[in-house]
Amino acid sequence: MSRRANARIEEKSELSHGETLRVLGRAFRYARPFRNRFAVKYLLLLASLLPLLITPWPVKIIVDHVIEELPILPSAYPSALQPLAEALVGLPPNEVLYWMVVLQLALLLLVGAVGTGGGERDRAESKLSGGHDQASRTENEANEGWSMASGLLGLFDFRFTIKLTQALNHHYRSRLFERIQGLPMTVFDDERIGDAVFRVMYDTPSITNAVYRIILTPFASIAFVLAVIWVIAILFGDHPIFWQTSLAMFAVSLLVSLPFTSTLRRRSTASRRAGSATTSSLEEGLTNILAVQSLGAEDREQDRFDDDSWSSFVRHRSVIVVGMVIFVFAFIPGMAMGAYAFFHAADLVILDQISRGDFLLLFTYYLYLIFACVDLGALWIRLQEAAIGLHRVFFLMDLPTETDAVGTPPLPHPPEEVRIDSVEYHYPDGTPALRDVSLTLRVGEIVALAGPAGAGKTTLASLIPRFLEPKSGRVLYDGRDAAGFTRDSVRAQVAFVFQETLLFDATVEQNIRLGRPDATEAEIRRAARRAGAEGFIRGLPQGYHTPLGRGGGKLSVGQKQRLAIARALVREGPILIMDEPTSALDPETERALIATMEEAREDRAVLVIAHRLSTIRHADRIAFVDKGRIVEEGSHAELMARPDGAYRRFVDLQTRGAA
Amino acid sequence: MGREPNRGPGAETRGDFARLGQGGREDRLPMRLVVRLLGRCLQWLHPLRLHMFGLFGGFSLVAILLFPVGLFMLDLIWTRVLQGQPLPEEQALFMGFDPALVSQVPVLADQVRRDLLEWGLRICVVLAISVLPVILALYYYQVWILQRVNQLLRVRLLEQLQRLSLRFHADHAIGDAIYRMMQDSAMVTQLIELLFFTPISTMGRYAFGVTVIAAFDPKMAILLGTLWPPLLLLGLWFSRRLRVGFREARETNASLTSRIQETLAGIKVIKAYGAERRWQEVFEGASLGAFRAAYGARDRLAVFTVSLFWVCGLALVASAAFAATRAAVEAPLMVEVLGFSIWTLGLYNFFKSRFSDGAGQLRMLFKTWGRTQDVAIGLDRVFELLDLEPEVQDAPDAVVLDGIRSGIDYKDVCFRYQPDRPALEGVDLSARIGTMTAIVGPTGSGKTTLMALLVRLFDPDRGAIEIDGVDLRRFRTASLRSAVATALQENLLFGTTVRENIRYAVPQASDTQVREAARVACADDFIAALPEGYDTMLGERGTKLSTGQRQRLSIARAILKDTPILILDEPTASLDAETELRVLQNLAEWGRGRLIFLITHRLSSIQRADQILVLREGRVEERGTHDELLARAGSVYGSLFRHEAEPAHAAGVPA
Repeated sequence: MSRRANARIEEKSELSHGETLRVLGRAFRYARPFRNRFAVKYLLLLASLLPLLITPWPVKIIVDHVIEELPILPSAYPSALQPLAEALVGLPPNEVLYWMVVLQLALLLLVGAVGTGGGERDRAESKLSGGHDQASRTENEANEGWSMASGLLGLFDFRFTIKLTQALNHHYRSRLFERIQGLPMTVFDDERIGDAVFRVMYDTPSITNAVYRIILTPFASIAFVLAVIWVIAILFGDHPIFWQTSLAMFAVSLLVSLPFTSTLRRRSTASRRAGSATTSSLEEGLTNILAVQSLGAEDREQDRFDDDSWSSFVRHRSVIVVGMVIFVFAFIPGMAMGAYAFFHAADLVILDQISRGDFLLLFTYYLYLIFACVDLGALWIRLQEAAIGLHRVFFLMDLPTETDAVGTPPLPHPPEEVRIDSVEYHYPDGTPALRDVSLTLRVGEIVALAGPAGAGKTTLASLIPRFLEPKSGRVLYDGRDAAGFTRDSVRAQVAFVFQETLLFDATVEQNIRLGRPDATEAEIRRAARRAGAEGFIRGLPQGYHTPLGRGGGKLSVGQKQRLAIARALVREGPILIMDEPTSALDPETERALIATMEEAREDRAVLVIAHRLSTIRHADRIAFVDKGRIVEEGSHAELMARPDGAYRRFVDLQTRGAA
Repeated sequence: MGREPNRGPGAETRGDFARLGQGGREDRLPMRLVVRLLGRCLQWLHPLRLHMFGLFGGFSLVAILLFPVGLFMLDLIWTRVLQGQPLPEEQALFMGFDPALVSQVPVLADQVRRDLLEWGLRICVVLAISVLPVILALYYYQVWILQRVNQLLRVRLLEQLQRLSLRFHADHAIGDAIYRMMQDSAMVTQLIELLFFTPISTMGRYAFGVTVIAAFDPKMAILLGTLWPPLLLLGLWFSRRLRVGFREARETNASLTSRIQETLAGIKVIKAYGAERRWQEVFEGASLGAFRAAYGARDRLAVFTVSLFWVCGLALVASAAFAATRAAVEAPLMVEVLGFSIWTLGLYNFFKSRFSDGAGQLRMLFKTWGRTQDVAIGLDRVFELLDLEPEVQDAPDAVVLDGIRSGIDYKDVCFRYQPDRPALEGVDLSARIGTMTAIVGPTGSGKTTLMALLVRLFDPDRGAIEIDGVDLRRFRTASLRSAVATALQENLLFGTTVRENIRYAVPQASDTQVREAARVACADDFIAALPEGYDTMLGERGTKLSTGQRQRLSIARAILKDTPILILDEPTASLDAETELRVLQNLAEWGRGRLIFLITHRLSSIQRADQILVLREGRVEERGTHDELLARAGSVYGSLFRHEAEPAHAAGVPA
């Protein structure tokens, strides 16, 4: 079921080749601000590959001139190494060996490589163990640091890289978070929170990943492969077969995985989505733990998670299978050509046309080539995987946020009057919520919104601080359209108490202070007192400094509600909106609250959405809302005087038994 | 009610869980515990032991097959093909070559060398083609096994989280639990590699390397054989620092997850109060902290591995130089080993490859050791969670609750969330089948707690709750909870269809049953008006519906459960009076022969209750029927009731 919900977030499930390229292009644009550091990284990468060309030489010299004791012919060396060869001419073998050992020790310290084989080279990196599905693998990507070398150069390169990765990830993680916070509230009614967590935490590394794996590494690999081929061509110029096979190997490796890209892309998408669905299903189950436990639905939740989690694993495996197939296809031609060249080289040794040291050199270079080519073969795979993650990041980045047009002025002064002027509003799914609604609030007045559940009362109230934008009609602050001012300045005028209480894992004081960061301690206490919260706050172990735990912890609903009211009261704006604040309050607290409302009226306009008559009757005016329209408006007495009035019928029902 | 853990008996705060997120700089997991921890993990591998033996057997077979082939090929190419030295006769016969051509000559003819090369290449190609699929299949098999292990642990963790009482959940961040389940638990998949594959294969190949080297030169064997103490010293010096770093990295990342989760859950308030910028700062701070911790830990690991290679590299250079001097003078060996009697270029290569392989294996072992510290920290966090004793547990001889014949009795029940803050004090209550008990009282007077005890979300600190005279704790919790349906005030919906939400607790319920439950809860009208009726998807928090609509869904959900006990915890608070009245009428009819508890503030709706309990500060202050309580002089209930009825009187509306 979570898959269905997820499918709604991204209607499109497949990327075309063109879109893949566009997404990647965008990733590179995103990396642009870091281009200088990427350039340095590229140079470091080349610098760390260069020693690989050098390290086989001391071994070759030892084999040819120390063990085989062949005379040194500087002319047979590539020009860069000729000075070294000339310096060694005429030296006895043990001295040649001595200098080679010195050279190797220097290489060991600087680049961490002493010879040709895998056991004689090292790379500085810190890849930690990951898991076996998407959700548990990406932390390595967010903190990726690596170098092709070890030793001092490798360590420097590693540190430079991990810092670059982190800086970029931090930057875009923060931007993504900013975007998420900037989305209109209606988006959050539909999206799944777990999914957003997944994106912020795990999808942003796709950007660094894309740059490293699609630009840096391939270009460095290509440069390296070409350098190796060039060296081979120089050293074995008499035998063009060597550089020709190398070049063919290189070409095949680039092309071999191309036919698999769409399959791979589809499967990667499914894998990422399944990873995200697992996180979502977990988050949902934990958030609703109260419902789960009291309904005895633990098994049900567990089965649901079990399915989601396993499907995430299965999809990850299906990506692995494609990777294996591509590997096989890249490996076989590479091996065949490598074997052919190997056979030929051995033959030349048999014919005494090249030395055994040369063979060793060629052998090492071929190993480099095979590894680099297998790596390059995976280029298209990486491209696809990065594109999927990037697409998920950009999807969120592209949702329209609540940004004010450049040059929008702030609201010049606190309003005396707010007027909703023949407003129409439709829910995102198109059903009309409000039709031709007009309502005026003035400072010094309490207006109550009454009406049956689902009539549109909350929607109406949400228009005032511009949580929602009307489809037509206007919200006027002192006669001027609120849409013409910055949202922040409009919202600063409004204190809103929501139906559901939302507290944060912080202290009581910090939760109240959210209403106004610069409030003094005395103001906070006063707000708490007026909200009837002071009594229970004093009873808490650390009073105002008691941490509340997640979502308000063990406070009762009524206590949380009163903290939310205190938060609204500490705010300075002249408009106070309370959405059903009394539904969870006991009558005593309610009475205190009504007093507060009366007091707040002195310098504020109060809009209250309530069902309880005891609250409603304190209003100066009551607007009765039904099916998205204000059907009646007036004082309690006026409305009760209408014999067939909707409000009167509503009141009668509520008091039928009581009176 | 803050975060301070309850240290009372049975409280779920054993271990260091409460310290979480405070970022300890000290090492809480000394080596001894790492070893014990890894040992404990074996139980998670146990269910898949047969597969693991299979996998290990498969990999061993491949290794046993390929390793000698590799050595054989090395010798064939370097000594025979490139240097032209003759083969031993047995080897020639084994390979199917004529000993007269390949053994009984001083130097091999060029054509023979070429034939040998061709033969070797052919074997390599055949092997590659036949073994490659096997290796890939084994790898796939390995991934499957590891995923299976991880899945078992994840599901077990969720089960544990669900068993932990609300007291635990109130104190702990969701993000942290998510991090433990997704990131930390994944570490179990590394165990097979860290505990079995790597140590066995690396130590095996290292020992083999030392043995082979010893056969050629004892001094070099000592060099290779004593390479481990300096590496071990490095390992010991680093491992404590690595653990501290890794724990900090995991904790800061977990708290970052919590930050994001919390922000998104509270986004409405943040936006309403224009606090986006401050939240952004908090997030960026947490993100930087997480990156900084990750950098610290990873940098230490990188320095460790680079240092390991420096030490090994010295030995490699020394040994290669030694072998070169020997080969240069063609020094004789004391005894013939593997066909070598003097140092040659072939032996130089063979010696060098064995030495570097041995040292490389050792290095790999210690690198793995470094990573193991991180795995151990991750698993430690998993076990922290698994080790918490659920507060509410079934007695070993607990029985299944099978229907209720008489009723429920609370006897002198006391409960406190924290030692100095009583939530319930000496509550007595008796409710019989077929009656409705209403509970009223001010906010925080203990109404919800009273009901939470009935489904054993907590156990009373003193006193007992009995069903038909038997203590609740004698029943299996699952059977008890399945006898109770609760409609909550904070109604929680899941991101699925209306239908699925209603039959959440009874997945097998038929459509007719779903419709009937919706009818009783007066939800059928608005559901019919939804775009896709019962198939309409609801958002994660069900926010597309109004509070009143959500409340009716949660009532329908409770009704569908069709249980002998129904608890309505203010589920009608957000309904308009008309709807509420209809719901309560329907419920009264539906509830015949059941036990109904109704918590409410709206007194007009409870007059038909068989008894009314007025709670105040955890004590029962008054009890009786509506009329009895109204008749009593100075009754709290009476004054509350008159207060509520007041507006109607004030406006002079006739009844």
